[in-house]
Amino acid sequence: MAQQVVMPKQGNSVESCIIVEWNVKVGDKVAIGDVLCSAETDKSTIDVESTAEGSVLALLYKEGDEVPVMVPIAVVGEPGEKVEVASAAPAEQEKEVGNLEEMVVAPLSVTPSQESTGSSPRARALASSLGIPLSSLYATGPKGRVIERDVLNAASQPLTPAAREAALKQGLAAPVAGSGIGGRVLASDLVSPVVAPAAPSLPSSPTAEGPVTEIPVKGVRKVTARRMMASIHGTCQLTLHAFADARALKSLRAGFKASKSELGLTDVTLNDLVLFAVSRTLVDFPAFNAHFLGDKMLRFSSVHLGMATDTERGLLVPVIRNSQNMSLKAISLEVKRLVAKCKEGSATPEELSGSTFTVSNVGSFGIEAFTPVLNVPEVAILGVGTIVLKPNEAKDGTVSFIPHIGLSLTMDHQAVDGADAARFLKALMDNIASIDLLLAL
Amino acid sequence: METYDLIVVGSGPGGYVAAERAGSLGKRVLLIEKGYLGGVCTNWGCIPTKSLLHSAKQYRHTLEGEQYGLEAKGLSYNLTKAMAWKQDTVETLRSGIGFLMKSNKVETLFGEAQFIDPHHVKVGDTVYATDFLIVATGSSPFVPPIEGSKLAHVLTSDEILSVEKIPETLAIIGGGVIGVEFASYFSMVGTKVTVIEMMDEILPMMDGEFAKLMRREMKGVDFKLGCKVEEITPEGVVYTDAKGVRQTIASELVLMSVGRRPNVAGLENLKLEIARTGIAVNDRLQTNIANVYAIGDVNGKSLLAHSASRMAEVAISNIFGTTRQRMRYNAIPWAVYSLPEGAGCGLTETEAAKRGIAVKSQTVQMRSNGRFLAEQGKRAGGLVKVIADATTNVILGVHLLGPYSSEMIWGAAALIEAELRIQDVKEIVFPHPSVSELIKDACFALDHTL
Repeated sequence: MAQQVVMPKQGNSVESCIIVEWNVKVGDKVAIGDVLCSAETDKSTIDVESTAEGSVLALLYKEGDEVPVMVPIAVVGEPGEKVEVASAAPAEQEKEVGNLEEMVVAPLSVTPSQESTGSSPRARALASSLGIPLSSLYATGPKGRVIERDVLNAASQPLTPAAREAALKQGLAAPVAGSGIGGRVLASDLVSPVVAPAAPSLPSSPTAEGPVTEIPVKGVRKVTARRMMASIHGTCQLTLHAFADARALKSLRAGFKASKSELGLTDVTLNDLVLFAVSRTLVDFPAFNAHFLGDKMLRFSSVHLGMATDTERGLLVPVIRNSQNMSLKAISLEVKRLVAKCKEGSATPEELSGSTFTVSNVGSFGIEAFTPVLNVPEVAILGVGTIVLKPNEAKDGTVSFIPHIGLSLTMDHQAVDGADAARFLKALMDNIASIDLLLAL
Repeated sequence: METYDLIVVGSGPGGYVAAERAGSLGKRVLLIEKGYLGGVCTNWGCIPTKSLLHSAKQYRHTLEGEQYGLEAKGLSYNLTKAMAWKQDTVETLRSGIGFLMKSNKVETLFGEAQFIDPHHVKVGDTVYATDFLIVATGSSPFVPPIEGSKLAHVLTSDEILSVEKIPETLAIIGGGVIGVEFASYFSMVGTKVTVIEMMDEILPMMDGEFAKLMRREMKGVDFKLGCKVEEITPEGVVYTDAKGVRQTIASELVLMSVGRRPNVAGLENLKLEIARTGIAVNDRLQTNIANVYAIGDVNGKSLLAHSASRMAEVAISNIFGTTRQRMRYNAIPWAVYSLPEGAGCGLTETEAAKRGIAVKSQTVQMRSNGRFLAEQGKRAGGLVKVIADATTNVILGVHLLGPYSSEMIWGAAALIEAELRIQDVKEIVFPHPSVSELIKDACFALDHTL
């Protein structure tokens, strides 16, 4: 009896996943637990395991398709068994493009896969039947997508012969109304087509000499690309740089390292200490432990610290929940647990979502300061740099060199102002400078 | 106080069209005119000159008609009758405009408008309030401060229309459209005409090659190019010629036609931004004061009656209708009603070069055309030139010199407005035999392929 394998539910917030790559093809033998495909949520990439044993009879979606969770994606059964495939794909697409109004006013929660960003299926079909090149259309759909309405506009648009020729030859788009006689679109009215930020049209072939490796953008890379671009496009980022006195930090770290192993503190890192300081400082600055959502801001009483983590699969941001209540040791242990899960690829979507503030530490590479990119919709992100010696003039005029740790705070100027950020950063500097006292509180 | 949706000051081809269009939309409109309805165009410009030029052309054609079988004995030109015909034409059109205003429920008021502020205009002792104000006060002939320019025999285009006797000699200072039309008229009726032009060619908007042919075809006129008038004496005009030599020509009458200046006196209270060429407006004809629009000669953008009328439509559309309409200046045709006639629309090659547009062009002789040959003969001169963008083949300019030019040129405006290319024009069927076929011929000369 053939069995269906469904797209597994990935926590409460994930409504759909995009199939990145099929690891099996029709006819392959699979066992329970074999990875059928990898799929991505907007946070991470997951492996979808087979829940049935047998032969793969059908794959119901193509790579790049977006599949709602709990919807069948594959059928496994006896070889030669007849399969009744009730594919949800066409129905889903119908629904997606059926109501243009709805699409324009509020993009559906099921966003189209990146491959199809650029034009809707209806738009493509209509454009092809009218012989209108998609590149010549002026996109008015969400995220710069060409939708059916754009094709209809173009079809009914009076373009002058010269404008039509220029649009075809140069791939330019015609605005809805032109400046010519009777609103005709003149060649001079044509504009470059709007390109969706998430799918920029890049030069098709590199001009550099020598062997070239082509790497498809997918999985974590693609999620990161999309989220970073969304961050830069959708926020007003401003970064403040500062250096905090790191003497207490260094001596504590040295103390922990030399401490008795049974205390379990030998592995507490400088980063753990900084995370601890951040978790405590944010409690006093709720404006920075917040999400900016355009028409409203959400301030959180708990500090769920996101921690940018470098893995072989790419950048992941696991979340230390309720860090404001955790001891330094507890934070340190949680960081190690999460980093290990990220590196082996077993972090769950729950562990990779829900942060209220993010810390990114590149100090171990010797970087002094940088401009971290906001992990939207968070209001701020802290970049942590390396420790450098900074001259300090004492009251008696003697100059000494004091170790300082680099802190770079990027904030969304939509949500907070520069002075707010400066106050927060100053408090953080003070807390780091006297981290030994903070630990006692 | 009477309150209007719109007050229009000036009833030339800008003002009266604005009033008419607004009136037809059901708006309450007041049109104020200090002289006659129709402005310069109807009373001292386009219309009376066309009336006189036509009579002179008929006279000339008859005199020269022997070659095609026209024999006339005792033919003479009666200026009094020509002037009466002209006057009848003017008055008929004037009353036609009055009727047009009435039928569109436009109130017409004769008197000098005093601008109190952007919402109030006073005529006599009465103040009228308005939501919108259109300034269409036109332009006046410019008389440069040359010694002797105030002498009684120095006339502008206004006064010369009421001469009672055809002068023996006439010196025309300025070889623009007005100068050339009067030169043509008076030379046709027997006056010895000299045109003194400061630039090295007449008719600046005309293609250089065409202007040269125009001078050659105007056989009775002596053109002095590159000459600067120094002084006007009761006997004639003193000028420095192109070589720097001081010359004197005797002349019974002198026509001053060096240009026109916008009528902006009295507008001070409106606090309008006024440049040297006229009231500054955007392409919706809006001034720096939001409810005040300026159309026609007074904004100096394009000193042509039909430009003023189009500006009126654009302004009214922006005030009472859609703000989508914009004034476009790239396809405004112009015409000179001399003998021969000249007309043009769009760019000349000189202008294209100035703007850095690469063009290609072809000129065809009018005598290659059946109708032209039948009517004008082998020796008559006439040219048609089509200018197109070198890469896109879009028609950018059409220039005509010869009969019917003024009646054909609207077609060029249509081609340019529609951004048609050479290959598109070649698909249009032109009537045969007609001089207009030469436009198609020029397009085939540019591109022989089918």
